[in-house]
Amino acid sequence: MPSHILIFFVIIPIIIAVFVYVFAGLKSARLIAVIAQSAFLVMALFMLIASRTNEITISVGGYEGFLGIILRADNLAAIFIFLTVFIFLGLVIYNLRSEYNHTDRLYWFLLFILEGTLIGLFLTRDFFNIFVLMEVSTVVVVILLMHDRKRRNLFAGMTFIMVNIVVMQFYLFGLGYLYMVTGVMDMEAAAYVIAHMDTTELALPYALIMTSIAAKCSLLPLLTWLPKVNALTGSRFTIAALMSGLHIKSGVYLFIRFQDVFGGMASEFFLCIGIITAIAGIILALSQKDIRLLLAYSTVAQVGLIIAGLSLNDEYSRIGSVYHVVNHGLIKVALFLGAGMISYLYKTKDITKIRGLLRVSKPVAIANILAVLGITGATFFGSSISKYFMISGVTGALEWVFIFINFGTILVFVRYSAIFFGRPKGAVLAPDWCRESVVLCLGISCFALGVQPAINFLLNQQVELSFWGYLEKNIVFVISVVAAYLVYKFILVKRDFLRPLRRFDLSFKTMCVSIGAFFGVLLVVLKVG
Amino acid sequence: MTQVLLFFWVFSAACIVFSRKAYRVIIYFGVFSLITSVVYLALGAPDVAMSEAGISAFATIFFIVCIEQYYGRGEGLKSEAIASRRKIRVTFMKFVPAFLFTAGLFLLFVNSVPTGYAFTELRDQYLRMFMQDVGGENAVTAIYLGYRVYDTLFEALLLVIAVVAVTHVSWFSSEEVPDGQHSEIENSRMTKFTMRIICPIILLFGAYLIMNGHFTAGGGFLGGLAFASFFICRYLVLGIYDLPIKKVMKMEELVFINITILPIFAVFTGVVYLVADVTPLFQNIYLVAMSALVGMKVACGFFILFYRHIAIERLPADIDKKE
Amino acid sequence: MNLHIFDIFPIILFFISFFGLITTNNTMKSIVFIMLMQTAVIMFWVGVGARFGAQPPIIGDIAYLENPDAIADPLPQALMLTAIIIGIAVTAINITMLNALFRKYKTMNWQALQNLSSTEVEEDA
Repeated sequence: MPSHILIFFVIIPIIIAVFVYVFAGLKSARLIAVIAQSAFLVMALFMLIASRTNEITISVGGYEGFLGIILRADNLAAIFIFLTVFIFLGLVIYNLRSEYNHTDRLYWFLLFILEGTLIGLFLTRDFFNIFVLMEVSTVVVVILLMHDRKRRNLFAGMTFIMVNIVVMQFYLFGLGYLYMVTGVMDMEAAAYVIAHMDTTELALPYALIMTSIAAKCSLLPLLTWLPKVNALTGSRFTIAALMSGLHIKSGVYLFIRFQDVFGGMASEFFLCIGIITAIAGIILALSQKDIRLLLAYSTVAQVGLIIAGLSLNDEYSRIGSVYHVVNHGLIKVALFLGAGMISYLYKTKDITKIRGLLRVSKPVAIANILAVLGITGATFFGSSISKYFMISGVTGALEWVFIFINFGTILVFVRYSAIFFGRPKGAVLAPDWCRESVVLCLGISCFALGVQPAINFLLNQQVELSFWGYLEKNIVFVISVVAAYLVYKFILVKRDFLRPLRRFDLSFKTMCVSIGAFFGVLLVVLKVG
Repeated sequence: MTQVLLFFWVFSAACIVFSRKAYRVIIYFGVFSLITSVVYLALGAPDVAMSEAGISAFATIFFIVCIEQYYGRGEGLKSEAIASRRKIRVTFMKFVPAFLFTAGLFLLFVNSVPTGYAFTELRDQYLRMFMQDVGGENAVTAIYLGYRVYDTLFEALLLVIAVVAVTHVSWFSSEEVPDGQHSEIENSRMTKFTMRIICPIILLFGAYLIMNGHFTAGGGFLGGLAFASFFICRYLVLGIYDLPIKKVMKMEELVFINITILPIFAVFTGVVYLVADVTPLFQNIYLVAMSALVGMKVACGFFILFYRHIAIERLPADIDKKE
Repeated sequence: MNLHIFDIFPIILFFISFFGLITTNNTMKSIVFIMLMQTAVIMFWVGVGARFGAQPPIIGDIAYLENPDAIADPLPQALMLTAIIIGIAVTAINITMLNALFRKYKTMNWQALQNLSSTEVEEDA
């Protein structure tokens, strides 16, 4: 019976969601949310421990062979689920006090359903089930983005949902070809069949499926949708945190899974795309003034980095990338929630107008500093270790590219760090302790992930840091910080030459063209290479 | 025969792409859906054919409500401005690169179509096993409600969310229709008379589909669509929106909870079968109960979508924003 | 190149609707094209299922024993039932959004909508 926990892990959030929506009042909804999320955290921890020794597998309904849908929790899935549940618990506590939050029953309903679908997405091994869950999560995210009726931006929401549907048609088409050539719907079975097949047969299904997954990760041709959606007027910072920290990671997860199924086809192509995405994301982040857009473009850059790290075909790089997903998820949620509090305190989203955070609210400032140190890869933080492993798989010129990307990230966050210093202008409001504690906890957890036992526990692998290698990395980090500070002080502050990029945006038609172009280029690469 | 149908299918779609007037788009879309469902039938997929026929009716209603605002009600059919002569060159310059791009993608696509054929083991296994595993005689229903009921769950969930979404993203925040809203179009007596006769038959047909979904083509979804189209007929006859949408929404969510709970006992954990043996009778009871639940769910969902579009989305714009 | 007859028509329709998506200016037409795209994919799936035979997979024992190879694959059909419902649900949401947008801006043109909504964002900021 213990393997039934997988089914219940998906269904119970959904049942709770509908139950809350139909029966509960707002106060009891909050209570139920906290209790349920704590229980989920325990369950996820149990699953993480159980999946260390052997994978938990269940065929829903107990049908033999590949007739039914198979759910499986291996270590990777358990890590992602733990991250999901942890972030949702943080969000629930963040929204707990009622003075100035905007939650209603619909909000909790959608939040729980999103949690259920994300967990389902991480557990399922069935291709079509992934399609259904992705559609559900897209629709849920769209309603969450439009949650504020008075200030919502319907146009961006409609563009978002329509682009996502077009992309999902590519996925479904590719799935049809995959079913045609393999005759199965299960990942493990498909991987087995594909291993014994000619790769030219698989070029088309691979290109179609990967186009959709690249769009879900907001890789290069489509990199504007995530920032655009995050910066919608009327969308909450919590939703932006959810999108950046978690929803985009489901795309990364599917990328890992499908690369495994197809045996790592076209990994050079994705290495290039990941690097270009990272650089483009950094340049666009440097040009932004809106705090949400800056953080969102930084997310795009980090996801590009993760995709590049996953495409290196190196065991250590893969471990580092997976670990960076966890780190980045927590860091981005901490940054976005912190930014939400900052913009509430200062009543503005323009980072050139926010100054002197250290004087206004110590806990928020400390949490933000911890997160900023985390994302830049400072010594002892989790992401310094993940970045160390990521870089350990590359040699030669490529290593310098990775160092340059990290330099760009540092540059972005040196610019961001200006908000901590100086004198606050104008009247500022008093922060809320509930939110402060959540942000502080998230900031500290970014730090805690850098401890050796945490790494070994999460990844279920004894990873050894070489002392000299790590020292070398940290020296490079210090040099990068100094260089970034000098570049910021003497070039970026003086002249705002990235200004024209600030309004960079893609229309719906351009997005469709770029989906097609991505698909075409990928197919050509597969056919030539 | 199928090839000819498929040719007309693509042709009607091309008509949609190249037609310049919104009303024509809707009409071509109806023709397109009709041909689609006939082709499905020719390809041996009666369930899919019936679903396509059912949803195309609702899709047409949605589109008509949409373009009705575009043209305005009761002012006749104003046509969209047709591109003038000078503009044609601009259009041409815009279309040619897009056409070349699409054609290039198409050729690339066609050139890399895989030649291999699937192993048919999975199909054979399904056809061999479904009668004892799930029961019934319709393999599609067996997969839909048995092997892949987990998918069906999320599909039902998506319909719940769609209803919530339509209520939430709509211009009008009210969930209830203002009292005494009548449709201003008076249908002819002949239409009303025919509808009055058809209505019970539709209900009966829906019940038949739900009860017999596991033996013939049909099932919960189609039965639900039939029940929902009963409400369309009712609207056409009475011309009044008087059903409480809010209560139906609540009912829909309750039915959804049941849809999740029933498979938990019957399929996911098999608790029911610990008590009793797996007999065909038990299996049939499960299939019919599940069909009925899905049918109720779909009927409620499409009823709300229909009423919202026909009753609320068409309200004049100045009624809203009183809040 | 070894194209089955059930392949080529859905592919053509897929790219016709793709062409429509990248050329049209009308938002409602875009929604119709997305529906066409969905139908193309669904037709392709049903065609995959009917590749070896197009008899409906509704069988008693006898029919199966007589000619098991002529029966269509039931799995794609069951999956496509789900896909159809997803398609119509999402279309309903899209149309409602479009209605609300049209009430606000009185246009269905993509470019005009984008300009109008981006000016509004600037006012907000």
